[in-house]
Amino acid sequence: MSHIKQIHNGSLERFLDLLLIAFIVFMTLKGGTSGACAACKFQRRRCAADCPLAPYFPAEQPKLFQNVHRLFGVRSIVKILEKLEEPQKPEAMKSIIFQSYVRDRSPVHGCLGVTQHLQYMVMLAEEELKAVNSQLQFYRSQQQQQNGQTQNQNHTHTQMMMHEIGDDKQQEDVTSQQLDLGMGLTVNNNHQNNGVTPFFSPLPVSEIQQQPQMSYTYSCSEVNHNGFSPPAYNTDSCKEILNNNANAWGGLNRFHYNNDNGFGNQNEINKSNNYGVMAIQSQLVNLQMASNHQQQEEEEDDNDYDEIHQFLEIIEDRQSYADSKEAYASSSGENLKEQIDEIGENELRSAATCFSLTSVN
Amino acid sequence: MSSNYTNSPCAACKFLRRRCTSDCVFAPYFPPEEPTKFANVHRIFGASNVSKILHEVAPHQREDAVNSLAYEAEARLKDPVYGCVGAISVLQRQVLRLQRELEDTNADLMRYASCLGGETTSAYGGRRG
Repeated sequence: MSHIKQIHNGSLERFLDLLLIAFIVFMTLKGGTSGACAACKFQRRRCAADCPLAPYFPAEQPKLFQNVHRLFGVRSIVKILEKLEEPQKPEAMKSIIFQSYVRDRSPVHGCLGVTQHLQYMVMLAEEELKAVNSQLQFYRSQQQQQNGQTQNQNHTHTQMMMHEIGDDKQQEDVTSQQLDLGMGLTVNNNHQNNGVTPFFSPLPVSEIQQQPQMSYTYSCSEVNHNGFSPPAYNTDSCKEILNNNANAWGGLNRFHYNNDNGFGNQNEINKSNNYGVMAIQSQLVNLQMASNHQQQEEEEDDNDYDEIHQFLEIIEDRQSYADSKEAYASSSGENLKEQIDEIGENELRSAATCFSLTSVN
Repeated sequence: MSSNYTNSPCAACKFLRRRCTSDCVFAPYFPPEEPTKFANVHRIFGASNVSKILHEVAPHQREDAVNSLAYEAEARLKDPVYGCVGAISVLQRQVLRLQRELEDTNADLMRYASCLGGETTSAYGGRRG
């Protein structure tokens, strides 16, 4: 009797095990304990097989849908998706999810805050690039000048030797001229530095006389006016680039940070000691490079949304920025409103023109 | 900034065809002179959601919140796929490009500076010698 009971219990256990395994497999295939997507779960409705939101809102991430629901609402999302073609829908949903996430993190400024922060970063980078280009242009002109001077000295020395050998009378004239000026024959190879017109020099006098004045304390604008700069890097072109950018992004004045950052006095920095500029620039570059090292590493990825995700970190760091902005807004709300309107128009224009290219890439 | 409650309803109440009371949450931010501002926001986010967001935000920040919502709504209407995220992506690429360019230019600058510094020293040394 007990033996029969034992056999019976064994088969029952096996049956229960099989039932449990079948239940686990069924749940796994269905994709969760209830099988409904986060959207349907949130709305407490049955998730049909053709649920339009199920692919974008997995049941494991209810917060994603909550954010989207709070900002857009299900009806708006469905309406937006209906108007789009099938391949565009995932992209649209990604952007909607991102936009809702940003709004959740920053209920006041949302994506506009991120846009303004990025515009500020662009402005900083352009200002710094302009300063570095000016510095580079100065060094290039300096090097060209030195090369010219070296060649000129060699040429001068060769011609002097020929004159000394070939024409005795002319040699005497030069000697007497130099003696009248209180100089010896030994300074013949330094003619251009003594203010004496070197009649054998291929370079014009004015340029030779300017040569000793060149020093590292020259400002880039002075160098440009002297005509020593390569044409690609002259100050006018830099100004044009900056003006174009300022027009494209609605001018620099709309950034609230203008008065606080160190780039308001860029011209003064340029006119100060250039070694100081280099030190400032290198520090700034190091700071920016350090802060954006991770972004540059991930830049190779072509997926737009992955790039957008990098900015989630920026958004997290935006707390201090938001605080400063709020302080500004409370002081002059009217200005901010106008600025935002301007930004909106400009941004949309630029986004409409640029984004088609990025989406193609 | 605030709309005239007595004369004409705010853009939101006009759009929703309801009576604009003195405690209307939309009235200070959606003046009747800008009907499209509310229409856009309502079309994308819905008046109910905007109202909820405004109630969650401190009163002195509501104007900023409305303006950012209006910007996002307009962007979404113009570009239903990417909306304002398109502008963010463009700016992000621009920042990365500028930083790369800046890095390259700085490397050039350092090379020039070190090279020129060495030549200058040698030239002066030669003259002195």
